[in-house]
Amino acid sequence: MNWKRAAIAALFAVPVIALFAWGFTKDPNNIPSPLPGRMAPDFRLPVFSPGEAPTTLPVGDTVHLASLRGNVVVLNFWASWCLSCRDEHVELQQFARRYEGKPVKFLGVLYNDFPAPAINWIREMGGQQYPSVNDANAHTSIDYGLYGVPETYFIDGSGRVAYKQTGPVTDAILTRIVDSLIAALPASGAAAPADSAAHVLAPAAPGSKGTL
Amino acid sequence: MTGMFAHDALLVSLIAVLFGAIVGTVGIRRGRQDWVQLAFGAIYANFVLVTIATGAMIYALVTHDYSVSYVAQVGSNETPLFYTVISLWGALEGSILFWAWVLGAYSTAVIWINRKRPGTLVPWAAVTLLVVALFFAILLVGPANPFMPVFPVPADGPGPNPLLQNHILMAVHPPLLYLGYVGMSVPFAFAAGAMFSGEVASDDWIKISRTWTMIAWGFLSAAIIAGMWWSYEVLGWGGYWAWDPVENASFLPWLTATAYLHSVMVQERRGMLKQWNLNLMVGTFVLTILGTFLTRSGILSSVHAFTTGTIGYYFLGFIAFVLIGALVMVAGVSEKLKTRGRLESATSRETVFLLNNLFLTAFCFTVLVGTLFPLVAEAARGIKVTVGEPFFNKMTLPLITALIFLLGVGPALPWGVASKAQMKQKLLPPIAGAVVLGAVALIAGARNPYAVLIFAFVGYSAFANGREYWIGMKARHAAHGENWLTALSRLVSGNRRRYGGYVAHFGVLFVALGIAASQSFRREREATLKPGETITVAGHTARLKEVWGRQEPQRAVIGATMEVLDNGRVVATADPRMNFYPTQSSPVPTPQVVSSIGGDLYFNLMAFDQNGAHATVKLIVQPLVPWIWFGGGIVVLGAIIGVFPNRKRRTVVAPARQPVAAVPIPVATTGGGEA
Amino acid sequence: MSKRNWAILVAVVLVATFGWLLYGGLDKNVVFFLTPKELLAKGDAGYDVPVRLGGLVKPGTVQWDEKTLHLQFEVTDDTSTVLVHETGAPPQMFQPGMGVVIEGKYGRDGVFEATNLMVKHSNEYHPPKPGEKPEEMYKTLIKGSTP
Repeated sequence: MNWKRAAIAALFAVPVIALFAWGFTKDPNNIPSPLPGRMAPDFRLPVFSPGEAPTTLPVGDTVHLASLRGNVVVLNFWASWCLSCRDEHVELQQFARRYEGKPVKFLGVLYNDFPAPAINWIREMGGQQYPSVNDANAHTSIDYGLYGVPETYFIDGSGRVAYKQTGPVTDAILTRIVDSLIAALPASGAAAPADSAAHVLAPAAPGSKGTL
Repeated sequence: MTGMFAHDALLVSLIAVLFGAIVGTVGIRRGRQDWVQLAFGAIYANFVLVTIATGAMIYALVTHDYSVSYVAQVGSNETPLFYTVISLWGALEGSILFWAWVLGAYSTAVIWINRKRPGTLVPWAAVTLLVVALFFAILLVGPANPFMPVFPVPADGPGPNPLLQNHILMAVHPPLLYLGYVGMSVPFAFAAGAMFSGEVASDDWIKISRTWTMIAWGFLSAAIIAGMWWSYEVLGWGGYWAWDPVENASFLPWLTATAYLHSVMVQERRGMLKQWNLNLMVGTFVLTILGTFLTRSGILSSVHAFTTGTIGYYFLGFIAFVLIGALVMVAGVSEKLKTRGRLESATSRETVFLLNNLFLTAFCFTVLVGTLFPLVAEAARGIKVTVGEPFFNKMTLPLITALIFLLGVGPALPWGVASKAQMKQKLLPPIAGAVVLGAVALIAGARNPYAVLIFAFVGYSAFANGREYWIGMKARHAAHGENWLTALSRLVSGNRRRYGGYVAHFGVLFVALGIAASQSFRREREATLKPGETITVAGHTARLKEVWGRQEPQRAVIGATMEVLDNGRVVATADPRMNFYPTQSSPVPTPQVVSSIGGDLYFNLMAFDQNGAHATVKLIVQPLVPWIWFGGGIVVLGAIIGVFPNRKRRTVVAPARQPVAAVPIPVATTGGGEA
Repeated sequence: MSKRNWAILVAVVLVATFGWLLYGGLDKNVVFFLTPKELLAKGDAGYDVPVRLGGLVKPGTVQWDEKTLHLQFEVTDDTSTVLVHETGAPPQMFQPGMGVVIEGKYGRDGVFEATNLMVKHSNEYHPPKPGEKPEEMYKTLIKGSTP
């Protein structure tokens, strides 16, 4: 073996490997979302799954996003046919249970799916802590520029999208972002009144076929 | 249950492979034959274990066992059995499992066949193969574990990627590709073995490596053609090659392997190019790993890419290991590889091989640069770019044209020196072929100089390669009084590698002709038709009969029935369709092709009215496309002919162990030697 | 010069020429990926060169004439908008609001002439695109034609 030559040769590999390593930090398919930093598109969608106490909403109610203003809102777009939604489910539920009572509202948004299989799915997966609404004609998903499911949007107290997670969320991501958003909420009493304004009660809208 | 069991099998295989690699290395160092046998045993055991795991996966897929993560990911109750089975390689984890299985099969075969060979070459090759297998074993128990338990068990799954269950070729292309890719590990392992064992200076090991390269090369050729065919039949844009990173990834090792198959002959005949061949062999393997890395890591944008995951980091580690290891080894042993022979004359077959290698490597380098450039540009200048087809076409067309010409010149020239008279006699007559095909192209309306040149050179090379057969057959016919068919079969079986090579040349020429014609003379039109209306492109007329819809278990299908007319008579029908899968919001277009020997009518349904009142249909007329697929078949046939050993005969090749003389061997007996 | 040096010289010249050709080829044939804002910011340099334009289809701007096959819509990144024209049918699931990548050239008339229109594709776990209810698209047709 001629080690000197060998070492020189090995040096040639370094830039190539460095380039690939760098490549990992990028997603070539990513179209940068214009949303972060902008106002979250508003919506009114019918509840099809009530969630668990104490965060239940009656089935058939309409959730109006603007009425949640003042809280941190975590919007999780999901579907029962989506495997990655299973991956994130347990961590997401545990996190939601742990943050009960804090000024953060969770909401599931059902995408391109039907309530019946979705309710089955929730039962199968051991429950969903928070209510889910049905985006039956996918207008809300379009407004958010949804690329696929799962996708999770974090909305700050002023109603702006602070962060968007494409693909499954993890406890670490949730903790980091939700904590920082809660910390940024106006200090005095944002949480307390928000609870009463959590949703606007409305009769099930004629168009909402959320629960069949 | 199945999942746990299979996962245990993979775990044991990881241990076996690790144990084999260590015990093999130590055994060789200490000269312990029994330890080396243990390493061989580890290879066989690994194969058995991975076979069990693969079998378990197929079983889980077929029985819809959604407690297995991979099945939950790609299975669905509605998917037909056939597509359920082939979804084994439809997504990342399954494809890695299948990969490991193919590697196990190759390793077992090559080690078993060569197990009795004296020396440490085979043991070192076995250790190398075990190290490669170790990497895949780690993937399979770690980040790409397909047997992860899913709880609670879902009742149904999303089904395989619709693009993959849309066409039968998807059952063919991936396995062929893996057989080609993974096959390149075998010659690499022997190259590494030769370097470790010190046998690298002898020429004996290249006999093993070249045979296995040819096997892998045959599979890879078939895979590339099948991939082109699949794109053509499925993707709906009427093309078969788009210089997509994933396509390039399969093409790069093919180029270097092709270069090796030619240059290795120069080493055998003249003792030259040893270092070069070693580089090609190692480079081919690195390129297969690079290709896998590019497709699995998601660092380049491609229509075919698999989902990104942590697996990319493992691949990065492995590719770094292989790249550095290979460079260190090749550079380290380079002094042992002094060339013994030398080039005698500019007009000889070895010169043509040198040029062939130069062009093929330049080709490979160009494609590599074009493929990786977006990454470089973003890293260096922070801009997002793509390198489009124009770059690849402009840069590679001259190389392709030159290579097609050389493909005719090479077989015609003798080894050593060609005299003026020989050259005249060999190189002039094929010009007739060039004139004929060039004229045909011009009359047909080709005006692009490259297109005309490619037609002409295809004619030249077909003539030259055909003539080699003719000369050989004529000689046998005259000398032995054999009839023409016997003469042909004896000629081929007497020197399979040489005549197999010529067959492969013919295949390449068919492919070139098909590509040149379909690129030059492609005509297309898109129109919105009401039932009964017609569309005409380049003299071909088709009529929309009806727009229809059908619900199938796993999908809904919308189709437009098109009737191909000849003087008002219906001669063929085509049903371009759109398939809607419940979990896929974009429909998957399914074009329909009406083929004849002269070319294809390619129909694609672009849009339809929801009430069936009209449909927008694209019709592309593409001459000679079927020749590409046919040519691919001929290439593979050539590889098959070349792989099998020759019929016993009096050999004129010097014993290989004996170092090739420093003085160039006089090569008067050109006709009889191995080409 | 010795034979060896000649060989090295020839090799260097060959490699340099080849590298220069490659560089020239890349320089002329690289296609930039731009958002509408970036495209407009390029000013004069943005006209008549092949680019890939990425953004969202602005709702309410899509016009398609199925007879002449003229497709026209606006692409936006929320700050800037570019008018796009293509001859041909839109991809079946083409919908206002969805992410698209368009290959083509931006003309001086202010119209981006598309040669290729791609809705963003992903193979494995991201199946559907926003706002698409496939069933609605084919339901009537299936009802209409099955006996």
